[in-house]
Amino acid sequence: MSGISIRAGAVVRTLAFIVVALALCGIVFELAGYSALLMLESVVEGAFLRTGGWAQSLRWALPLFITATGVAISFRCGFFNIGAQGQFYVGAICAAFVADVLGGAPAALVLPMTFLAGMAGGALWALWPGYLRLRSGTDEVITTLMGNFIAALALVYVTSGPLKDPSGTGQQAASPLLPAVYRISDSQGISPAIIGIAAAVALAMWVLVNRTPFGMLASLAGRNPTMVRFQGARLWTLGLSSFLISGGLAGLAGTIELLGPTGRIASGFLPGHGFTAVLIALVANLSVLATAVVSMFFGGLASAALYLPILAGLPAAAIDIFNASVALFITAKSGLLDRLLRAARLPT
Amino acid sequence: MTEFHEFMVAILRSGTPLVYVTMAGVIAQRAGVWHLGLEGVMIVGACATILGIVLTGSFAAAIVIACVLCVAASVLLWFVIEKLGANPIIAGLGLTGLGIGGTALAVQALFGSLAAVTAPFGVPRLGAAFGPYGALSIFVLMMPFVVWGMWVLLCRTRFGLRLAAAGEHPLAARSVGTDPARVRLIALAAGGVLCAIGGAELAAGGLTIFAQNMTAGRGFMSFAAVIFGAGHPIAAAFAAMFFSLVGVAGIRLQLLFGASIPHDVLLSLPYLATILGVWISGRMRGGAKAATEASELRDY
Repeated sequence: MSGISIRAGAVVRTLAFIVVALALCGIVFELAGYSALLMLESVVEGAFLRTGGWAQSLRWALPLFITATGVAISFRCGFFNIGAQGQFYVGAICAAFVADVLGGAPAALVLPMTFLAGMAGGALWALWPGYLRLRSGTDEVITTLMGNFIAALALVYVTSGPLKDPSGTGQQAASPLLPAVYRISDSQGISPAIIGIAAAVALAMWVLVNRTPFGMLASLAGRNPTMVRFQGARLWTLGLSSFLISGGLAGLAGTIELLGPTGRIASGFLPGHGFTAVLIALVANLSVLATAVVSMFFGGLASAALYLPILAGLPAAAIDIFNASVALFITAKSGLLDRLLRAARLPT
Repeated sequence: MTEFHEFMVAILRSGTPLVYVTMAGVIAQRAGVWHLGLEGVMIVGACATILGIVLTGSFAAAIVIACVLCVAASVLLWFVIEKLGANPIIAGLGLTGLGIGGTALAVQALFGSLAAVTAPFGVPRLGAAFGPYGALSIFVLMMPFVVWGMWVLLCRTRFGLRLAAAGEHPLAARSVGTDPARVRLIALAAGGVLCAIGGAELAAGGLTIFAQNMTAGRGFMSFAAVIFGAGHPIAAAFAAMFFSLVGVAGIRLQLLFGASIPHDVLLSLPYLATILGVWISGRMRGGAKAATEASELRDY
């Protein structure tokens, strides 16, 4: 019983800080001369109310969910892997290379290899910060952040060099659009395949976190590494695996973007993906089930971002501002709020 | 000889913003705040300086506006970390996002597009008396004095000791009548002024332009310089200059080798140097074991 009320308290706390973040955003927008109310209206309309809004929100939510469950596992283990963006990019780059090299082969061969390459690429981009952290104590916050910048440059290089679309004339460098046989969805981005992958990831991660010794020890390692060592577990193995899993999942999300909705890689595509995934993991308090719900919310915001310029005349950056202010407050523990909650609970 | 002067000018021009922001990071670090919001405060400084010059036509007014806004942003971070007990890393990253998004929004709101904003003039220049260095801004000349001043303040005064005590052992600081929260507020606010100068130098020191997301990780690099320099103002300043040296050397290499090395590989050199710097400082500080123990302290 008390477990439920603690959880309800956590949910109320999270919602309260999202409201605070919204209020802060509203102030920023009003100062900049935009109508905060109009923005709120157009976000809700763009994300959920308009026809096909839910499907579009789901399109953004699924890759975010996959990356966010990965981020959550490294956070659980006590590592601030904030390099999901870079891991997502490197995964997509590796997948694009494999799809390009194997071009012409039957899809039954190309698709598994592409997925494998994408996950391996993402895992690789998490491997070196993990290794440096565990071997030499190099702070993973900085290495993964720097990894994001390097991966973004690598993406620019690849899309304007080796994998350049020869017919592309746009301002954004991009790889050629993949042929339809290799795509797992059309540009709408919703297909049984993608939903199936996300469901499989959800199930696997839930089991891993809640029903295996690894998940248990990883969560313990995040709270008290010394104790885990005394329990006889190998911090090294736990830590490195958590880095590899989180990188691999970000790479998987990159591969889905490549084979699914986007159909290609382009320089600087989905720039806020990794940061949003970190946010989702934190808002969901690192729980797999909550991550699914929260992903839908942030997926809705991402889909609404495309409609803001049309509906409210706001730049798409408005959503980044909202996400950032959620990040500012999400880890706060408000003493005042806790006291209010306790007071509200006393009579029962 | 002119080659050398050009090289030095380039290093000073790209290194000075980093050094100012690094000083902001040092003072925060010593007070016990992992300041990952440097990037966000810096871009606010850069944007406010350029927009301030465009709107008021006066550099002095612009830098005052930049300082006020940067101090306000820093105080917001202080409030969230100190009063709401948020995790400094996540809150700092949030502030960074807020700075990058907010400046883009401000430019869009004022000019109706996201194109770069150009100001008619920038930070006052040193002038012909300095020969080949005359094109540099006055902030470049101020920089060594600021670093020296920081060293005196942090390592040779009572306030510096209190600051270090508030960072290292808040309980001990409290027991001798120092309020750690207040010390951190002062440290972050002072850091706001330094970030404003760093941002102003970046946007208006060489160029006179503000572009969306123009800090491009320099705030994070400064944070890495703080770590590399072990929180010591002079060492951290050298670390920041080292990162800028690597960046400038990369651009020079490109001029030398032309197309044989991809442009983007050279652009990633400063980021690689940053990783190297943090790796070295991690090793010097006792490697993985010490880091594991330290990470228990930043649990959220």
